[in-house]
Amino acid sequence: MARIIGGIGTSHVPTIGMAFDKGKHDDPDWKPLFQGYEPVRKWLAEKKPDVLFFCFNDHATTFFFDHYPTFALGVSEEYAIADEGVGKRKIPKLKGHAALSRHIAHSLVEDEFDISVFQDQPLDHGLHSPLTMMWPAQPDWPGRVVPLVVNVLQHPLPKPSRCYKLGKSIGKAIAAYPEDLRVVMVGTGGLSHQMIGERAGFNDEKWDLEFLDLIDRDPERLAGMTIADFAERGGNEGAEVIMWLIMRGALAPTARKVHQNYYLPMTTAMAVALFE
Amino acid sequence: MTKYVFDLERSARGLRLNRFLHDLVHEEKRKRFLENPEEAMKDLTGEEKDMVRRLDWKALQDYGASFFCLEKLARTKGISNPQMVAAFRGETLEEFLKTRRVPGAR
Repeated sequence: MARIIGGIGTSHVPTIGMAFDKGKHDDPDWKPLFQGYEPVRKWLAEKKPDVLFFCFNDHATTFFFDHYPTFALGVSEEYAIADEGVGKRKIPKLKGHAALSRHIAHSLVEDEFDISVFQDQPLDHGLHSPLTMMWPAQPDWPGRVVPLVVNVLQHPLPKPSRCYKLGKSIGKAIAAYPEDLRVVMVGTGGLSHQMIGERAGFNDEKWDLEFLDLIDRDPERLAGMTIADFAERGGNEGAEVIMWLIMRGALAPTARKVHQNYYLPMTTAMAVALFE
Repeated sequence: MTKYVFDLERSARGLRLNRFLHDLVHEEKRKRFLENPEEAMKDLTGEEKDMVRRLDWKALQDYGASFFCLEKLARTKGISNPQMVAAFRGETLEEFLKTRRVPGAR
């Protein structure tokens, strides 16, 4: 049977991928970020999961507002890298796990989560900006991904409680998959940031650290908050951390945070946390 | 909070503009826009064209542009997110960077 062996929460700021692509590993401005991912990279290299289940958002790259899904599950064997306005990152196409995706789609609908599905679509930095910090892209990816795209752009957004429940349903679906697969849940986004309006450049380190504590100790409390609460405390765009709740909901309630890094160099607080 | 929220009303108002901005994910559309901006913008209204010509991020966002569609225009024109954030705050890039912990991390 398939088994969820752990979870990762991570920011997906595009500059994380840019810093990686430019080889900024030893640049003093970026070193604290690379060092923060090192334990996660080592953990993945040691545990060798077959699949990373990624909860992330597209940034009006692949999906556009003429038809914008709330929850869309990728069901392809392969996903191209998206061009976001400067050409594609030079990393291999992502390998999907279509059979597991199909199983999860059936299981979710059976559990009354009527999700959308997509195939043959390119994926943007929401997924692969943190991925290259944790998983070797060369010569090729060591495993497969299952992407879940979440609407955190166009309101109404899904409620935080809905995200947490969806995570629980995904957890059940994965546990019921007959093949022996080791799966890691990844929730992306945040932490505090606001890109627009007079409050552009807003951060709140105190809230970020509280969030990192609650996602470990008391995710139900986060799930009980509203989108407006998240936007108030973490910034308009910071409300995307609700995607961490999907990851957390899929983990066993007994899972605990074993590593955390927090770095706030520019406009967005960059965090990574590992759960087992 | 509602002031910044990209909701269905804003999305409807900004649809034509956002579609133009979103199209810049295609290399041939970027090339066309950089070589002949007026031709590339022919489906936009006069007001929309004017804001795009001036790269007036604040006016574009107020009008109904999604920040994530504006990013496509910014990348096409070689403008970074810290530059955009500075513009929203009414600051120069230098002024904005002074408020950051690691100004070189961009």
